[in-house]
Amino acid sequence: MNILVFTKRVPATQEEELRLINDGKDVDFSKLPFKVNDWDNYAVEEAVKIVEKGGGAVTAVSIGDTESDEVLRRAIAMGAKDGFLVEVDQVLHDPFARGALIRNFIQKENVPFDAIFTGVQSEDDQFASVGGILAALLKLPYVSMVIGIDSVEKDHMVVRRELEGGLQERVRVTTPCVISIQSGINEPRYVSIMGIRKASKVERKSFKGKEYDAGKEAHIELVKWVYPPKKGGAQMLGGELGDICKKLMEILKEKGVYQ
Amino acid sequence: MSYALIVAEARRGIFEERNLDSIGICTLLGKETVMLLPDGQYSFNEKLVDSIIKVKAGEEVFLNPLNMAAIIEKVSETRGRPDFIVFTHSSSGAESAAYAAGLFGFPIITDVSGCDKERGVFFKSYYSDKLFGEFKTTGDATSVLTVRSGSFKEFAAEKAAAPREEVIEGVTVSDSRTFVEYVEEEKTDIDITKADFLLSVGRGVGNKDEIPAYEELAGLLKAVISGSRPVIDKMWLPKARQVGTSGKTVKPKVYLAMGISGAFQHIAGMKDADCIIAINKDAEAPIFQYAHYGIVGDMHKVRDALKGIVKG
Repeated sequence: MNILVFTKRVPATQEEELRLINDGKDVDFSKLPFKVNDWDNYAVEEAVKIVEKGGGAVTAVSIGDTESDEVLRRAIAMGAKDGFLVEVDQVLHDPFARGALIRNFIQKENVPFDAIFTGVQSEDDQFASVGGILAALLKLPYVSMVIGIDSVEKDHMVVRRELEGGLQERVRVTTPCVISIQSGINEPRYVSIMGIRKASKVERKSFKGKEYDAGKEAHIELVKWVYPPKKGGAQMLGGELGDICKKLMEILKEKGVYQ
Repeated sequence: MSYALIVAEARRGIFEERNLDSIGICTLLGKETVMLLPDGQYSFNEKLVDSIIKVKAGEEVFLNPLNMAAIIEKVSETRGRPDFIVFTHSSSGAESAAYAAGLFGFPIITDVSGCDKERGVFFKSYYSDKLFGEFKTTGDATSVLTVRSGSFKEFAAEKAAAPREEVIEGVTVSDSRTFVEYVEEEKTDIDITKADFLLSVGRGVGNKDEIPAYEELAGLLKAVISGSRPVIDKMWLPKARQVGTSGKTVKPKVYLAMGISGAFQHIAGMKDADCIIAINKDAEAPIFQYAHYGIVGDMHKVRDALKGIVKG
């Protein structure tokens, strides 16, 4: 099975304070490290596992600036055969525009595939929709929130998708198809610096995004960024660590959960 | 009056409460509300919507993005194109919304948690709620929205008259994606929904080797240990210990969140605890907005200091 996996380079914002600049028109990323989108890491791992078991090849694709080559090298170090970078000079906030660009690229370059894997969502924009839009544009079946792939046959797969409250749904989907992978489906393998260095010797092809612009006009517009509205907020416990912990213990006693 | 089409969700015959947020945003936008539901009888206040369209299909057929696109097409043929198609921002809502937007070429804004009707903008979370983007759609096409649970239900209001009801039959059912079965989570000895005191650990725990020390602290405090999604994904704690929309919804007397930043899926699962205490080294972590008490600091140091106090 030949699998295309989309992998995206995103800012690592988990423990960083984000600063707005230009009256909320931009976010200051100048001091932030970047990383592979967490969900895409699971998608690459799942694709590589399927190919290791049943044959075929994984091709990693990234839409982004030239720096996105680093997530392709990482995917190759994990087991992808090669990598394609579709270079765009600005962030595409509109998931429809992103989906249309990918559709155009796949069709114009005749990229062969039996399945397309994406992460469920990106850590940065959290749209969770490029996979579904792409599937519809390619007229392919789509399954999202996939937390288990139970079987891979010649013409179909049986997958489990995550619902709310611990419930899952088992679904049969014919191939070719688009699957969005949920985190926790596997344990992504460790990638060493040496592995990434070795992967950089594998050829990655680069394409100019503007070659695939047809019909990808944005349908939505980002007006500006704002900080989230403040709610009530917590009463912060301050002071020395020992004092803070004593206060915490008093709260537990007051609430009747610790005597 | 132009109308908004609400795609409601029902699982195993239960009308999901998050549908109220879809109804709420449509009420706020001042649209006639037309709600799609799969065949069956559901318990909810029907007067919250103007019309109900029951689709002659089971929920497994209804909650399939390929079939849903065909249903939307059918509704549009008879009623005209809606101004909005509104889904919940859930596993199935987000899936069907994206597919419909792609198929019909409609603008889509997901995980909407607020809107300014006058300015025509919708607020959407970025970077795990650290920022919000204000978005507007361009052109006059139908807008597809997915709505964050808990954001709009307060705006849902009863209508003067009971809803008109109609039935759609003969929906084209896809054979390229078909429902097989529901899979239940395995039953375990500990039910975190029954605990009075949960000590919950998140991504900040750092690595698996730290987990036993938190289990020990939970034991000393007579708390039950639970976790947020990243910890469960890495299999450091069993799935049955997961708090959040895809795990369990809990309502303990005390919820002690250690190293949990507060993704909205997690907040949705624990926000109704009587007392929430959050410990995080990032003073800007969203969880502090929901907690009653907060400590900015190293969770491991707090853990060791608490152990010291309890052990005397």
